[in-house]
Amino acid sequence: MKKRGVGYGAFFYGTGYGNGFPDESRAVIEITSSGRFNLYVGVSDVGSGGISVMQQIAQETLKTDGELINIIWNDTSLVLDTGTAAASRQTYNTGNAVKIACEKMRDRINEVIGEKELKTKEDVNEIYNLFLDKNIETRFEGYFKATTSQVNLETGQGNPYWPYTFGIEKAVVEVDTETGKVDVLEIVAAYDAGKIVNPAQAEGQIIGGASMGIGYAIMEEVIVNKGSIKNRSFSDYIIPTSMDMPKVTTYFVEKNEPTGPYGAKGLGEPAMLPTAPAILNAIYNAVGIRLTEFPATCERVLAAIKEKEQRDQEKRDNI
Amino acid sequence: MVEVTITVNGTSYTRKIHPLMRLLDFLRDELKLKGTKEGCGEGECGACTVIMDGRTINSCLVLAASCDGKEIITIEGVGGAELHPIQRAFLEVGAVQCGYCIPGMVLSTKALLDKNLDATEEEIKEAISGNLCRCTGYQKIVEGVKLAQTKMKESRGEACECGRS
Amino acid sequence: MRPVSAVGASQIRPDAYEKVTGKAIYPDDLEFPGMLYAGVYRSTIPYGRVIDLNINEIRKLPGVVEVVDHTMIPGAKKHGVIFKDIPILVDDVIKRVGDCLLLIICETKEALKNALKQVKVEYEEYEGVFTIEDALREGAPIIGDASNVLYHIKVQKGDLEQGFKEAKYIVENTYFAQMTEHVFLQPECAIGKIGDDGLIEVYVATQYPHYDREEVARCLNLKDEEVRIINTAVGGAFGAREDINPQCHAALAAYITKRPVKVLYDREESIISHSKRHPMKMYYKTGVREDGKLCAIEARIYGDTGAYASWGTNVLRKSALHATGPYVIPNVFVEAFAVHTNNPFAGAMRGFGAAQVPLAIEAQMDMLAEKLGMHPLKFRYLNCFEVGSVTASGQVLASGVAIKECIEKLASHDNLSL
Repeated sequence: MKKRGVGYGAFFYGTGYGNGFPDESRAVIEITSSGRFNLYVGVSDVGSGGISVMQQIAQETLKTDGELINIIWNDTSLVLDTGTAAASRQTYNTGNAVKIACEKMRDRINEVIGEKELKTKEDVNEIYNLFLDKNIETRFEGYFKATTSQVNLETGQGNPYWPYTFGIEKAVVEVDTETGKVDVLEIVAAYDAGKIVNPAQAEGQIIGGASMGIGYAIMEEVIVNKGSIKNRSFSDYIIPTSMDMPKVTTYFVEKNEPTGPYGAKGLGEPAMLPTAPAILNAIYNAVGIRLTEFPATCERVLAAIKEKEQRDQEKRDNI
Repeated sequence: MVEVTITVNGTSYTRKIHPLMRLLDFLRDELKLKGTKEGCGEGECGACTVIMDGRTINSCLVLAASCDGKEIITIEGVGGAELHPIQRAFLEVGAVQCGYCIPGMVLSTKALLDKNLDATEEEIKEAISGNLCRCTGYQKIVEGVKLAQTKMKESRGEACECGRS
Repeated sequence: MRPVSAVGASQIRPDAYEKVTGKAIYPDDLEFPGMLYAGVYRSTIPYGRVIDLNINEIRKLPGVVEVVDHTMIPGAKKHGVIFKDIPILVDDVIKRVGDCLLLIICETKEALKNALKQVKVEYEEYEGVFTIEDALREGAPIIGDASNVLYHIKVQKGDLEQGFKEAKYIVENTYFAQMTEHVFLQPECAIGKIGDDGLIEVYVATQYPHYDREEVARCLNLKDEEVRIINTAVGGAFGAREDINPQCHAALAAYITKRPVKVLYDREESIISHSKRHPMKMYYKTGVREDGKLCAIEARIYGDTGAYASWGTNVLRKSALHATGPYVIPNVFVEAFAVHTNNPFAGAMRGFGAAQVPLAIEAQMDMLAEKLGMHPLKFRYLNCFEVGSVTASGQVLASGVAIKECIEKLASHDNLSL
């Protein structure tokens, strides 16, 4: 028999290195004779869209077009250290550094031509020439450091991270009571990651995170025997395919984070956090079993269902 | 060494190769077509997907020597000066994250839509089920395929109208 | 006036065009004239020592250019994001399956494959520890520096005993979160090369180029400025490209041979070599008052951090500080431990210690809601953070807290009343 269930998983997530560790980002914006801006920023784009986020923040701040911003990100001889592409820190930390650099540039642009938008290469070139005439710097650096403090090891008291991202997901599952197989039928996600810089890419993070969460909940486990990994290939370490993915609906509650660039916070890691607990709670809702060892493979689910049936039978016998 | 003649993206290549050379290595090392990726080397991930005589194959599982006389399409053979509607659609819906699965995804999609432009969502999901993606959760890729269907139908419609006039 | 609104727009990402056309360059797509191929021979035992290695025989094999062991490293022999404990090539004790023993540099891929197959190692094997319990046992072999406990943190707030006294319902369980793997699709690859300006160049797909530069410079005994890291397109990462993997080997091979050298992993080597998500054992006891408000939490979290420290300290800190979930709980006692074993080392993976604890706390929340007869969404709504709430660490959440609004979204999606 196939039984359906609904479950929820909520989370909070402190972004950044945290714990008072110097969490620094740097960016340089330069106006050039070619009619374009060069944005030097060491953002490593591991797929999560960091380059796009930096481009859009620079675009917004400089009041110009994305095509007129050339991003140089990949060479340590050309870019300053801007920290790691991890801890969901690039949008917030490096985004702030980019915004600060670009604000310095835009302030000087405003001094020479006012609030005017820069739509073409000619517009940018005009500014460049005015800067040269007026002896204005053509390069501006932005620096940002997140504010956290070290926690006490005995009490855990302190301000370990900032900012925090929040969210909750609902999962709908169907459990086959004869095989123990769990199918995830639907995910609904609601996130507070502050202002969303690029909604399509942000949604892509949520859905991709849900996919990793589905793997975590019902499929994935590295099997280790005497220190040696047994499943060393994709034929025995299974991750979700297109056939395993349900429809994911995403809502963003765009609450402004005052310390974030345009109110934005990190999103990459949080995207995988609520899915697995929501699925595990949905399994309980469907068939009344509460697993404490993960993932919820067919074998584990089936064994738990059998055990529950036996318990229920014993209860009935005792009445 | 054996001699093979393989047509890749419309050009015929004759080469003397080791009989155990994989098609993937033929494409990447002999022809320097680096768009075809290797993710697992055992046909599980689909990053090395190419189209051979209209059907998708994992080029890591096929010996180049067995492809004598065959026609192969790789990502370099999709689109030209203009992007193919599939590529355009993937860009527009935001289907691309790290990008490593994307050449294979584009080719699996092309093989499907070349045969069945009206493929349903289930058929789309099945057609790309041999292509693993760890970043996107597939949804935007499926959306991209659907948008590509619309785009390809539109351009086919335009072509028909041109034909009539 | 807001002439351009780029923030909030679903713009096409600048790197996507090259990715859909197959033109994006990942490290293995690069070739340089005269390029050599290098690979690492890895330990097949989890704990022990090398007695003998047939280096001289390997050197004589066809196509072998050089065989490098730890004595040939000009600078630091170990790397690590916090503690420098991971051997670039083992000079002392082997602590895990997959530790790097020899770096072999060859003219061709085929010669490299053959040479790696011909390596013969005589090991002295020690009895290792493979569970958290064994590692914490008195008299256990010490895998870490001075202790098997790499990190221990407590989070304490309020009065736990009093808190549980106030509880109407208490639930208590122990959860076991499994080890998982990142499965980025692009296996590790790096090319080392001496640049036209004499700098050591490493082309690699990485999360943090400046950190890689520091480690390569340390390994080669160079200044940071004498090394250049060029970050290519990155085929996924999820935390597994935070520790050094092929970077130092590629740089070392180029430094020794003065030629470009590529190091490329297959999937098996990728899985064996890089960090993993911490498996965790999580004891949880949570209490709720009759009015539905959470009153106490006790949690003890043990993470198997494996043979090397990597980010183990920070991961378990994150577990401890996220153990309560997004809920106001006035009385707290949480403890977390990062424990060394001879298992694969665990480090950064998307979620970083805050991915495991929700498996426990969210189950606990559902169980308490059930006992109260309250809808799980409503129960979460009643207890979750809002602006001004204080976390278990005493941090005041001064701004940007919209978990309540998120719950409202889900409720309205399903026409539920809260």
